[in-house]
Amino acid sequence: MTKRTGVFVCHCGNNIAATVDVARVAKEMGEVEGVIFSKDYVYMCSDPGQSTMANAIKDNKLDSVVVSCCSPTLHEKTFRDVTEEGGELNPYRCEIANIREQCAWVHKEKPKATEKALKITRAAIKRVQNNQSLTPIGVPVTRRVMVIGGGVAGIQAALDLANAGLQVVLVEKNPTVGGHMIQLSETFPTLDCSQCILSPKMVEVSKNKNIKLLTQAEVQEVSGFVGNFKVKVRQKAIYVDPEKCKICDDCAKVCPTVVPNEYDLNLTPRRAIFIPYAQAIPATYTLDESACLGLNPVVCGKCADVCEADAINYDMRPKTIVEEVGAIVVATGFDLYGKENLGEYGMGKYADVLDGLQFERLCSASGPTGGHVLRPSDHKEPKNVVFIQCAGSRDPESHCAYCSKICCMYTAKHATLYKHHVPDGQAYVFYIDIRSGGKGYEEFVQRSMERDEVMYLRGRVSKVYENNGSMIVKGVDTISGKNVEIEADMVVLALAMQPSKGTADVAKTLKIGRDKDGFLAEAHPKLRPVESVTAGIFLAGAAQAPKDIPETVCQASAAASKVIQLLSKDELMHSPAIAKVRLSHCTGCEMCVQACPYGAISLSGPNAKASVNDVLCEGCGTCQAVCLRAAIDVKNITQMQVHDMINACLGV
Amino acid sequence: MIDVAAIKAHAKALLEKGTVRAVIGYRNSTAGLLAEPFVFTGPESVDDLIYGPSCVQNLALYLVNDKKERAHHKSDDARPVAVVAKGCDARAITVLLQEKHFLREAIHVIGVSCEGTGVVDTKKLARKLGGKHAVEIDFDGGEAFAVTTADGVQSLPAAEIMAERCLECRGAHPQLADIAFGEAKTDRALHTPFQAVKHKMKEEQDNRWSFWARQFDRCLRCYACRSVCPMCYCEECVVDSIQFAVLPDTTAEEKANRIKWIERSPNRSESAMYHMVRAIHLAGRCIDCAECERVCPVNIPLRLLNTRLEMEAFETFDYNPGSDMNAPTLTSSFKDTDPNSFIR
Amino acid sequence: MANVQETAKDEPGFEPKIVAFLCKWCSSAGSDLAGVSRLQYPSNAVPITIMCSGSMSPMFVLSAFNKGADGVLVSGCHPGDCHYLKGNFYARRKIYLVQKLLQFIGLENDRFRMSWVSAAEGVKFAGVVDEFVKDVKKLGPQTRLKAKR
Repeated sequence: MTKRTGVFVCHCGNNIAATVDVARVAKEMGEVEGVIFSKDYVYMCSDPGQSTMANAIKDNKLDSVVVSCCSPTLHEKTFRDVTEEGGELNPYRCEIANIREQCAWVHKEKPKATEKALKITRAAIKRVQNNQSLTPIGVPVTRRVMVIGGGVAGIQAALDLANAGLQVVLVEKNPTVGGHMIQLSETFPTLDCSQCILSPKMVEVSKNKNIKLLTQAEVQEVSGFVGNFKVKVRQKAIYVDPEKCKICDDCAKVCPTVVPNEYDLNLTPRRAIFIPYAQAIPATYTLDESACLGLNPVVCGKCADVCEADAINYDMRPKTIVEEVGAIVVATGFDLYGKENLGEYGMGKYADVLDGLQFERLCSASGPTGGHVLRPSDHKEPKNVVFIQCAGSRDPESHCAYCSKICCMYTAKHATLYKHHVPDGQAYVFYIDIRSGGKGYEEFVQRSMERDEVMYLRGRVSKVYENNGSMIVKGVDTISGKNVEIEADMVVLALAMQPSKGTADVAKTLKIGRDKDGFLAEAHPKLRPVESVTAGIFLAGAAQAPKDIPETVCQASAAASKVIQLLSKDELMHSPAIAKVRLSHCTGCEMCVQACPYGAISLSGPNAKASVNDVLCEGCGTCQAVCLRAAIDVKNITQMQVHDMINACLGV
Repeated sequence: MIDVAAIKAHAKALLEKGTVRAVIGYRNSTAGLLAEPFVFTGPESVDDLIYGPSCVQNLALYLVNDKKERAHHKSDDARPVAVVAKGCDARAITVLLQEKHFLREAIHVIGVSCEGTGVVDTKKLARKLGGKHAVEIDFDGGEAFAVTTADGVQSLPAAEIMAERCLECRGAHPQLADIAFGEAKTDRALHTPFQAVKHKMKEEQDNRWSFWARQFDRCLRCYACRSVCPMCYCEECVVDSIQFAVLPDTTAEEKANRIKWIERSPNRSESAMYHMVRAIHLAGRCIDCAECERVCPVNIPLRLLNTRLEMEAFETFDYNPGSDMNAPTLTSSFKDTDPNSFIR
Repeated sequence: MANVQETAKDEPGFEPKIVAFLCKWCSSAGSDLAGVSRLQYPSNAVPITIMCSGSMSPMFVLSAFNKGADGVLVSGCHPGDCHYLKGNFYARRKIYLVQKLLQFIGLENDRFRMSWVSAAEGVKFAGVVDEFVKDVKKLGPQTRLKAKR
């Protein structure tokens, strides 16, 4: 216990002094055991206030201080800095008693508020008198970054990081980077070609010396902590040497197996050996083991026979790669809400009921129809197309409760594009609301209505069924109050966005939280939107929430800049207010080990007692509450200190 | 019928071969009907080993004590110790294994069945015999005990003289055992589990407090409950640091940081705190051996208190203490579906 | 019923002593927000900010009653919002057990309460305290577990 405590009571002008008798607080605190200096001052945080505090600490050789003022979230740092710099005392010897937000501002009666302020301040004194001097823990950092997911978010983050001089490992599950954006035809609201704007970035990824690209790879295991993660990545065997592959297509021509092409949303076929599309990065063919007739033993072997570059090697095996990185950006993107969930719209049942991404492919010049909007069923040009918004979104009863955010805009884009392709066609859009917040967005929607004569119908569709080769769309127009029935040649559903399939596993592996809808959880919805709750792991793109391309790019750059900031120093400073084991009391029962949210505790030593990893520990104290033997405590908020604070609060 | 001779033969063989360094079991006591726990170290001594309804003590405690003693004597005999374990004893050992108090390979569990009955409650027996003095008690089939008095042997219905906890026992046959003797009878609870707790819960709260206040007023704080509990194996009890262990690595700061949660004097509030802390610390760990209640010199119904939270473990958290040595403990785990409606 | 004398209910002018354990990241921040919003609530609850509701040892609750608290409030982040990922889930289970035990012993139900208050719920915080103080006032002073000192 310290013996020379100083107390500083702030008036905060009239903010505190109006309801708390600050002079009385200062006077009574001066009488508390161990307090040798107590003073009230009009503005403690002002320059003269800070000097008063610094001088008092030095002049009176104070060994602990309490500032009774506003919330510690505001000025704890200020006063700890004063303690350290002006007072030449360890900053952890300073504690804040919050008598403003938690007292003066919420009570009116001065005597009662003063009583409470006395208790709060006395509790802080009791706490600080048992505080230890602590020094932040310096941890050397690895100046490399892993980006998980090679869509536009991952690409942008990787490029920003690489251009800042950091080594980047970009991990992508698919054979190529590009994500969903490369599947898009044009982008709203400017209608610029998606491939044209993304493929230069993809090429840059492959050219940048600071980026190591691992495609067909997935993260398996993560250990370590901020600044020093160790990530185990498993990479599939692709059976083609990218260095040798000349992309001549000879192999695919002889391949006997035909499977649907995922990149074209199964609207076109591909072979077992294939390149997803011409601009794929890395630019190489890849052999899909699951589609191939057999590799062990080799059943067919035709592709290797015809390959003049000798690029095909059936002996390749999956690899496990261990990467050491200082930070991780998670950009695992989205998938469309499962079509199996939307039976009422005939999705998966009728060939001419499509999802938004399929429609993108139909509009795309590189798509299955060479840029002509044709019905998949009979390759005829559809003259009436119904677009259904909120398919699976905003439906807490049976589907996703949230708004998928981009569907209003891309539906308007689809309708517009359709009209550009089929000028004599008619587009209908069923909507609930139109959400077009964004630069140029509202104008774009208006244009689709006015110039392209898209018919917007406010209401939900109840059913879609087939009748004589057409789709009958039954719905209601809530504005006119009439039932609507449209005979359509094609129906396009704006399916809800959901986190991509691997997101749950990635979150689990990385020990980062997800929200109720499965999207990755940010550390703070307003102020820390690109940080996960785990230090050193950052979020970008639609894995965090539905968002459009500009927002995704923004978030990716923001995550990159957070990483750059984090890795700009040689050492990271970690809070020293962490758990400490009392070895004499520890029995090694492992309860704290089980409960620690960070895996920071393990049993070690000859008697297998708990031992805390100083860097992993965040100081939450969950261990302390599960320990039956009071064998573990968080520094500067020990059970002893809480015990004393309880006494102070109750006036014991 | 459980074959005590076979248990003896097994114990003897273990000691003869030297595969274990001792066998913890029961032998006839020189004082009273109840058996006494004994550490058999020589093969000949095993002749005294007994097993029957008089073997009420939880031998897990003797394992705990054995560990303490070995630490004290710095014993380097690495051989395992064998222990005779009823269903409840085995559950206690499982909890201790779960808490890494022992290594599994350090213990050889000789599981013994309670033959569909249980152990005797001497108070009930005395009432039943109405002044006569029982000198021996044995299993008598699945539903009776053979009680020997000066008048000779008589068969009494086990349900009438059995310990309360045995009536509610759902795991009379040890789940954890290297070798098991006797018939495996499961789910043979004669009474609804937590009967007394549920009955007490129906009372008015004020009456319940009057009841407990009376109990706590009587507590002498002799700590017999703590001493007999195999789960109270801490070197130092958090509520009462009477046994504060000053070890070579104990720092001055640690010595200074002993929290005085309660006063030493045995009065109502302090005893209430002591017993509540014990109940909380036993949550998910108490396997209902009821030894605390049996040894209490002032008859505080400690089983009633400590099984209250066991009921929650079972019924609310689907957690069965002493059933899985590899599971996380009750309070160091959670489920998303845990009760939430009590929170405002 | 000897030795049981506490029947004092709703004493006039009785001001209950309440200890409110608030987690640093949600409930304490929520209480700060109540302050910033100048919401008014009774001054009976004295806050102790702890790092996480997960660090809420049952000892703190029992000790507070032993030292004469008329009511004890524990408040943490909503499930899923814990700054430390899952501390509040451990807290929920433990506090549930403590509450059941206290009720079994015969402490009045309304003397011990847990709430979820997020950093954005200043209004809720004020409401929780207001309601709790009212409920505890009805019960009168807590004499059952209080040490005679």
